[in-house]
Amino acid sequence: MASVSIDHVSKTYGSGSSAVRALEDVDLSIEDGEFFVVLGPSGAGKTTLLKSVAGLVEVEAGDVRIDGTSMEGVEPYHRNVAMAFESYALYPQKTVFDNLASPLRSGRTGRYSAEQQRQRIEAVTTTLGIDHLLKRFPRELSNGQRQRVALGRVLVRPADVYLLDEPLSHLDAKLRAAMRAELKQLGEMSRTTSLYVTHDYQEALALGDRIAVLRSGRVVQVGTPEQIWREPVDTFVAKALGQPEINLFEVEASGDRLRGAGGALELPAPAHLELPGGRARVGVRPRDLALGAPGGADALHLRGRVVLAERLGRLMEFSVRVGGQDGGEDVIVVADSDAGAREGELVDLHLPLTNVHVFAAGPAGEETVRLGGAAR
Amino acid sequence: MLRERGPEVALARELTPGQKRVTPASVVADLAILAWFVFSLFPLVWMVLLALKNDADQTSTYFRFSPTTANFGTVLSQRGQDLTSVDFGQAMLTSVLNCAGAVLVSLVVGIPAAYAAGRWKFKGSEDLMFQMLSFRFAPELMVIVPLFVIYNTLGVFDTKLGMVWVLQLVTMPLVVWILRSYFQDLSPELEQAALLDGYTRRRAFLTVALPLVRPGIAAAALLAFIFAWNNYLFPLILTDSAATTVTVAVTKYLGGGGQAYYNLTAAAALLGALPPLVLALTIQRYLVRGLSFGAVKA
Amino acid sequence: MATTVGGRTPPQQSSPGRAGGAGVPRVPAWRRKLRPYLLSVPAVALIIGILYAFFYGVYYTVLNYAATNPNPSFVGFENYASVLGDALFWRSAGVTLLYAVAATGIETVLGVAIALLLNRSTLIGKTFERLLILPLMIAPVIAGVIWKLMFNPQFGVLNHVFGLGSTFDWLSKDRALWSTILVDVWIYTPFVAILVLAGIRSLPKEPFEASDVDGASWFYMFRRLMLPMMWPYILVAVIFRFMDCLKVFDAVFVLTAGGPGVTTTTLQIGAFEDSITNLNYSRGSTYMFLLWIIVFITARYLVSVLGKAQRRAAGAGA
Repeated sequence: MASVSIDHVSKTYGSGSSAVRALEDVDLSIEDGEFFVVLGPSGAGKTTLLKSVAGLVEVEAGDVRIDGTSMEGVEPYHRNVAMAFESYALYPQKTVFDNLASPLRSGRTGRYSAEQQRQRIEAVTTTLGIDHLLKRFPRELSNGQRQRVALGRVLVRPADVYLLDEPLSHLDAKLRAAMRAELKQLGEMSRTTSLYVTHDYQEALALGDRIAVLRSGRVVQVGTPEQIWREPVDTFVAKALGQPEINLFEVEASGDRLRGAGGALELPAPAHLELPGGRARVGVRPRDLALGAPGGADALHLRGRVVLAERLGRLMEFSVRVGGQDGGEDVIVVADSDAGAREGELVDLHLPLTNVHVFAAGPAGEETVRLGGAAR
Repeated sequence: MLRERGPEVALARELTPGQKRVTPASVVADLAILAWFVFSLFPLVWMVLLALKNDADQTSTYFRFSPTTANFGTVLSQRGQDLTSVDFGQAMLTSVLNCAGAVLVSLVVGIPAAYAAGRWKFKGSEDLMFQMLSFRFAPELMVIVPLFVIYNTLGVFDTKLGMVWVLQLVTMPLVVWILRSYFQDLSPELEQAALLDGYTRRRAFLTVALPLVRPGIAAAALLAFIFAWNNYLFPLILTDSAATTVTVAVTKYLGGGGQAYYNLTAAAALLGALPPLVLALTIQRYLVRGLSFGAVKA
Repeated sequence: MATTVGGRTPPQQSSPGRAGGAGVPRVPAWRRKLRPYLLSVPAVALIIGILYAFFYGVYYTVLNYAATNPNPSFVGFENYASVLGDALFWRSAGVTLLYAVAATGIETVLGVAIALLLNRSTLIGKTFERLLILPLMIAPVIAGVIWKLMFNPQFGVLNHVFGLGSTFDWLSKDRALWSTILVDVWIYTPFVAILVLAGIRSLPKEPFEASDVDGASWFYMFRRLMLPMMWPYILVAVIFRFMDCLKVFDAVFVLTAGGPGVTTTTLQIGAFEDSITNLNYSRGSTYMFLLWIIVFITARYLVSVLGKAQRRAAGAGA
């Protein structure tokens, strides 16, 4: 049993005017065996969070509990956690084999004969596709290979918790996709409580049993990938997930309709939502929009001119200027290439209200909370 | 148009290696650097020549003579001892022991301090480092005079122990400052990885951090040895005859009165200069960083 | 594959790692905070040992302690009055200052020039670069011995090579100070040169290539680009040299022992004469303490200049 609970943890680096708040009252609890992903932009405090669990940074407030036991004052080597560092932190003077054997030789992760060590290392390196590199030194490896060695040093040993800091970030795109698919299948991963840190929303959505979104040292939202995707708690989370980013429009109530983008956008005002001052922000994901004829009164409508059409393989990405020449905004739409729209053409866009997010109105550049969907 | 002149003109060429064209300016530059090396190396060459002259040639200033190596033997033998009342061979040995001892103490005491100052920000660490540096710049006599009195009461005057102790003023700042800069360059995540692998802090330090700063330790140790060896004021005042060092012994050959032995003086100077020169050439790559106390990283 | 790797601790093993429950070893916060201090304890002890001698020396300055007066008594600021009222002290302070300014100045100019010349990477430069540091690594006192042999009017090689005859005395009243400065230049110019050379070689290439494409002149690039970026390296060298010159002793002592007369009596040589030759410990200590104050103030000032230059160079290099 090894659940992890992070209780109101705060951490500041530096002091005085140069102080940087890395973590602010972070409160998370991770269940035994769970694969928990922390998603956030760089500088959000993700690495600090992992190191607090590992005992490598001292938290100034709050506590970390592993398996219910407070880790206050417990040395890293007594916590039985393994960590893959984003910088790899491979021992430069040791071969790949000796790097991987290091945790097995410390005596704190169990006793292993030379033969057992070799077997474990072989098994892990075969899985990671680095079994031909055992005699090399870290300086002789590519970044992608180093990263897999760093991951291997975690997987080779039993631990109560795996801490993984952007473990796929330096792999090339193809290998990253393959590793992402494989990572969750690994027996050791599915058995061990894992805390996985990334800035890549696709990794987060694909891997996480649950996801916590971190922003400037604060937890913004915690939930399953489904929840985070369907019901982002605010515009920050909504923008963090999805590429291209979600389209946001300022809208205003007029009668029982909401209008925005100089009248080019309209949808029925959601009766179940309270809109302060009759103003709101509407969020529309590029892939949810469909090109074509208007889809009836129960949908969001947009009309605009295609200003740019880019092919992304099977799909096309369109930039559609809505709301006239001057006050216009660009909407990004991703659609099948057989949608047939060309640059310069006027197009109609629509999507069902269930996929429309309504956020509170706010000054430009400020993140606002989600009020709900445009339809129940 | 400018492109036709190629990407390297003027200073960029001066700054980047590979210039081959001969211009009046390049000839002047070559002559200037040559002139420096003539000035810089001539005294050393002259010392070697003088050391190889026999007694009859020693006062001559000619470059042609029949060389002899007898002077080195004389310096290290009883005759040298009779002339100067100093056993030069013994002085060399004393210098080796003094310097090795001083460096060893500095490493044992200095490595943990350098590690602490390089890894942690703690109250007083900057004061500690500044205090170390101030020893480097403090006039030696400020401590020698009281030490002269203290040593006499403690009975360590004219002993190797006394020299090892006072040489800490020379070796300790070098060791601590150089090694701190090496520890600072080392990513702390390597030791953190070792902690998570299950090693204690002591073992993480000994098996991960320490081996990786080995070049720094070697450079600091050798440089400290050189400067300890070259020190003159401490042995001049704090030793007499039992623990005389090379630097003091060399000057004894100048000691006036009676006949002068220029060839023997040169031979003694050469013997005293050789160990630092050899050591310096072996650590040339790390020298800049060491000489600037880690301030300039080459 | 059959082997299971990783995962939870296999049950048959005797619970390695975290023991769980109340048995987890903990290190109290105060002991964690104490770690760097514990590591520094030996060094601090050593420093205290040295500072003890230092303060003992400061204590001497208010006594009338001398070999002839082994039971000293408190005399207040008498030594200070005596030293500060002594023309010899001011004379030696002047000598020291002249020596420090002249030697540091010449060494800096020559050192920078040598660094620039060696950076051209010509055959001559590459051949001799390794030998640049040789004078620097010889004990200054041995350098003094070598030059004393060369300076000798009758048998010295310099008068012979330059055809000066046997009456030209390098260490005469008028020339001795400049001759000792010449020896200092011989020893320490390489120090400036290797520091500045290392600095030049670590400069980024892009700004030079950019302004080169813009057609800037050599002098413009040197003054506007190179010098500002090299400045911190030059300053480090200048600080080390100037501070060392203030306490110069070894080579000067062996060359002239402060003479002829007092023409080359630097502050540390003056203190040596008082405390060691004349065995007047208190007066010598006062001499030294005053020098120490000068060194300390200069150090503080120069280090603050260095800090400013480094910040500016960081801006220029960016």
